[in-house]
Amino acid sequence: MSLLDRILGRRAAPAPAGASDDLFDPALQRKLETLALVSRRVFAGRMRAERRTKKSGSGIEFADHRAYVPGDDIRALDWGVYQRFGRLLVRLYEEEEDLGIYLVVDASASMGFGDGQKLRHARRLAAALAYIGLANLDRVTVVAVGDRVVRTMPTTRGKGRIFRVLHFLQGLEPSGATDLGEAMKSFVAQHPRRGLVVLLSDLFDPAGFERGINALRYAKFEPYVLHVTDARDGRPELRGDVRLIDCETGEARDVTATSALLDRYHAAYHAYVDDVRRFCVEHQVPHFVADVSVPFDDIVLRVLRQSGFVS
Amino acid sequence: MFLHGLPLGTLAAVGAAAAGAIALLYVLELRRRSALVPFARIWERVLATRDATRLFSRLRRLLSLLVQLALLALLVVALGDPRSQPKGAPSEGRHLVVLVDASASMQAIDVATPAAPARTRLDDARDAVRALARGLGPDDAAMVVQMDATVTPLTPFTAEVAELERATASVRATDARADLPRALRFALDALRGLSSPEVVVVSDGALGEPRDAFGEVHLGEVRASFVPVGARGRNVAITAFSARRYPLHPDRHEVLVELTSRSERAEDVELELVGDGQIIDVARLRLEPGATLPRVYADLSGARRTLEARLSLAGGERDDLPADDRAYARLPEPRRVRVLAVGGPNTYLEAALLLGSWIDVTYLDPKQWPPAAGARFDVTVFDGVTPDGPVPSPAALYLDPRGPSAPVGVDEAELRKVGFDTLDRKSPLLRWTSLDDVFVGRAHRLVPRAGDHVVGASDQGALLVEGRREGLRFVALGFDPRASDLVLRTAWPVFVLDVLRELSADDASYLASFRTGEVWSVPLPAGAGADVTSARLRAASGAERPVPVRDGRAVLLGVDAGFFSIVAGDAEAPFAANLADPDESAIAPRRELVVDGKPCAALAPPKRAPRATPWVWLLVAALVLSTLEWATYHRRVTV
Repeated sequence: MSLLDRILGRRAAPAPAGASDDLFDPALQRKLETLALVSRRVFAGRMRAERRTKKSGSGIEFADHRAYVPGDDIRALDWGVYQRFGRLLVRLYEEEEDLGIYLVVDASASMGFGDGQKLRHARRLAAALAYIGLANLDRVTVVAVGDRVVRTMPTTRGKGRIFRVLHFLQGLEPSGATDLGEAMKSFVAQHPRRGLVVLLSDLFDPAGFERGINALRYAKFEPYVLHVTDARDGRPELRGDVRLIDCETGEARDVTATSALLDRYHAAYHAYVDDVRRFCVEHQVPHFVADVSVPFDDIVLRVLRQSGFVS
Repeated sequence: MFLHGLPLGTLAAVGAAAAGAIALLYVLELRRRSALVPFARIWERVLATRDATRLFSRLRRLLSLLVQLALLALLVVALGDPRSQPKGAPSEGRHLVVLVDASASMQAIDVATPAAPARTRLDDARDAVRALARGLGPDDAAMVVQMDATVTPLTPFTAEVAELERATASVRATDARADLPRALRFALDALRGLSSPEVVVVSDGALGEPRDAFGEVHLGEVRASFVPVGARGRNVAITAFSARRYPLHPDRHEVLVELTSRSERAEDVELELVGDGQIIDVARLRLEPGATLPRVYADLSGARRTLEARLSLAGGERDDLPADDRAYARLPEPRRVRVLAVGGPNTYLEAALLLGSWIDVTYLDPKQWPPAAGARFDVTVFDGVTPDGPVPSPAALYLDPRGPSAPVGVDEAELRKVGFDTLDRKSPLLRWTSLDDVFVGRAHRLVPRAGDHVVGASDQGALLVEGRREGLRFVALGFDPRASDLVLRTAWPVFVLDVLRELSADDASYLASFRTGEVWSVPLPAGAGADVTSARLRAASGAERPVPVRDGRAVLLGVDAGFFSIVAGDAEAPFAANLADPDESAIAPRRELVVDGKPCAALAPPKRAPRATPWVWLLVAALVLSTLEWATYHRRVTV
C-alpha cells in the first residue's frame, strides 16, 4: 500500500476469493474430475493394493509364516515346512486392502477469521482429496474438529458419493476454539481403523499444534499436515492504540501498533509457520503449506506429486 | 502588537476553557479500538519486548497534547486579530470607491458571445470589479457602490475579497439612467480624510456630463479611474409612448409612439402594438441613422386597459439593448355611469346625455319623485326641479336649483343678461370647454357656503358652484341652460359629460406613463381612505413592496419599466412606467470619461502582495499543523 493510500485511509482490496464458495459449482467439479484423472495417470497400475496388511488372506505375495492355531484355514498350511521340520505353520500373504482416508478439517473460529478464506480453502482442498480418494475406490471419512470432534461424515466409498462429501463440507461453519490435542484423541477413539489422516488446519492451537499431530502418530495413523495459511494473518491492518482480542478465546491485550511492532509480528508469524514445518520434518510427517492465495488444485497436484498417500 | 478582534480578557477565558477541556480529554484514559486477531499467542511472542517502549509511547502522547495546545493557541490568537497598528489607526493604503454603473444601458448585450448569449455589459463590469478586488494591496480598502438613478453603497470600506465579490454579484441593472454627479459627490464624501483616495467608475460611459444643480463636480485630490465596458452600440429604441381615450368616445383611444435610432446605419424595424395582450397593429418602418420617428395611431379600439409597444429589428436580428425596445401605457378603465334625470322634457339635455355612450340614463318625471326604493344611481341630474328627500346617488347636478332643498343658497332676485366673468379654467368641470362668451338671459345668483368652490361667476355673483353636503357631492348651475346660448354651443354636451365624469369619478383623460429614474408621485386609488399613510407598489410579476404616501399620493423612486399598481386596502390604481430616455438609448461605448475637466485615468494594474492580516497566517499555520498531526498520528503514518 502506498503512502498516499495510507494517508487517505484506503484499504487494500481483499485477496481474490477465486471461484465461488459453492462446492457444487460446476467449474469446481470439473477441476475435481481433472484432478482425479491426473491422479490416475500419475499412479497408473496402482489402483489398489497399495496398502497391504500381513494377513492370511487372499493375497498372492508371500509375507511370512506363523504357527497354526485351531481355526486357521488349513488351506494355508505350509505342507512343505511340515514335511521338512514337522511343524504346522501357516503361510501369511500380504492382503491387498483399500485405503482408509480421513480428512480432518479444522472448523474453529480462526479458520473463519476475516473473510473466512482459510475455511473456504480447506473445504476445497478436502473436497478435492475426497474426490480423488473416492475415484480410486478408497474409503473416505470427513471429520470437522475444533476443540473436539464437531461433526463426522460416515465413511463412504465410490465416486458417486462425492455429493454427500460436498454437502457435508458445505455445511461447515467456523466457530469455537481450537484444541487439536483433545480433538484428535476423540477422533482416534472413534476411528479404530487406521489410515491416512489429512489434517487441514491453520494450527492456531493455544495448547500447541504438536499435541494433535502426536496423538495421530501415537495411534498409528499416518498424518499428513496441510497447513492452511493466509498471508493477511501475518500483515494485520492495525494502526495506533488498539485492543487485540483473540477471535477464539476472547483474550485481550492492549498494544500500540507501530510499524516496527507490525514488522516484529510479521517475523513471529513466519517463525510460527517454520516451527510447524520443522516439527513435521523432524517427525517425518508430510507437511504442505496451503496458502489461500495459491489455487487449491495447484496444491493438490503438488501433494500428489510429492507423496503417494492417494492410491 | 494590537488586538483588533476579541479583547484580551475574552481570549484568555476562551483559551483557558479550551485548554482545560483538551487537557481533561487527554487525562481520560485513551479508548482503544478493538481489533480481532486470529491467534493471540503469536502476539504474545512480540509483546514480550513491548514494555521497553512504553516510556516512548507516553512521550509521544504528551507531544500530541502539546500539538493540540499549540493549535489552540494559534486559533485563540487569531480570534484576537493581532495587527501591528492600533485599532482605529488610519490605513496608509489606497481607498477606492468603485462606482458600478447599473443604468439601463448596462443591460446591453453587445458583449455576448456564442457561449454566453445573454452576457451583458453589467457582467463585464462585475468581472472588472472582481479583478480589482482580487488585486487590492495589503493595506487597500474598497467600497462597492451601485450607481443608477440613485446611489446605493453595497459595502463599507473593506479589504475582504469575498465581501466585495458578494456585493458585486448583487449589483442589478435598472431601467433608469445613472446619476453620475450624485455618485461622484457621494464618493467624495466617503473618501474625505482617507489616504490615497480614488474613485473607480466601471461603466459604458453613457453617463452624461458630471454636472448637476450644484454645478460641476470637483475631484480635488481624489484620483479618478475609468474602466470602460461595452463593444458597440447598434440600437433602436422607443423613446416616447403614450395613449389616451377620446373624451367623447372613451372606448376609443389614440396612441403616440416615438422611435429613435442610435445605430450608425439605417435599420428596418418592426413595431408591434399590443392591447391587453393581443396584437392590434404591426408596422414595418425604416429608421435612418440618428433619426427620430413619431407615429400616431388614431381611433384605436383594441384595448381596454393596457397597451404595449414592442420594437424589433426586421429579419430576426436583435439590437444591443432590449430594455428600450418595449414601452408600456395604461388606459383609464371605462365604466358605465348610471344617471337619473329628474325633470320635464329637455331636448338639449337628452341630446347631451345621448352623446355619452358610457352613460345609462333613467328619466323620471318630477311627479313620480322619489324613485323606487332600492334604485341606485351614480349621478342624479335635477333639471329645473329641486325636490325634497334623499338623493338616490352620491352625486348630483342641479340645473337652475330653487327652494330650500337646493344644496346651495339661491338668491331669489333674477339676474338678467349676464355671462361668466370669472372661470376656474383648471377645474375638471371645464375641460375642453370655453364658457367665456356664453350669454345668459336669466339667472339666479348662487350663494355658496364655506368650503364650496365657485367654478364660474358673473360680476353679480356665482353661477357655477361645486361642493359637498353630508356625503352628497354636487354641482349647481344657477340658470336654466335653455335660458342661455350655452345649449347651442359645442361646449354644452362637453360640459355635461365633464360634470358627469367628474361626479362619477370616471376620468377619460390619459394616464401619463411615469419615467424611470424619477420620483413617481402616483395618486392613490379612488377607493382608498383619506387617512392612508402607506400603500404597496405591485409589479406585473406580483411582487410587492411598501411605499410611503404623502398628500394622497404614493411617492417613490422608480427605476424599473413596466406595468405597476398602487394598492391601498382593496383599491388599486394601475399605471405604467417607461425608460423613454433617448440619451440612455445612445449606448455606443465611450473609451474616455471626463470628470472635472480631466479625462479619467486607466485603472492601475492589480498589486499582488500578501495581506497584512496576521490572523490569516495564524489560521494557515494552525491548518498546516493540524494536517501534519492528522497525517502523522491520526492516519498512523509515523506511529
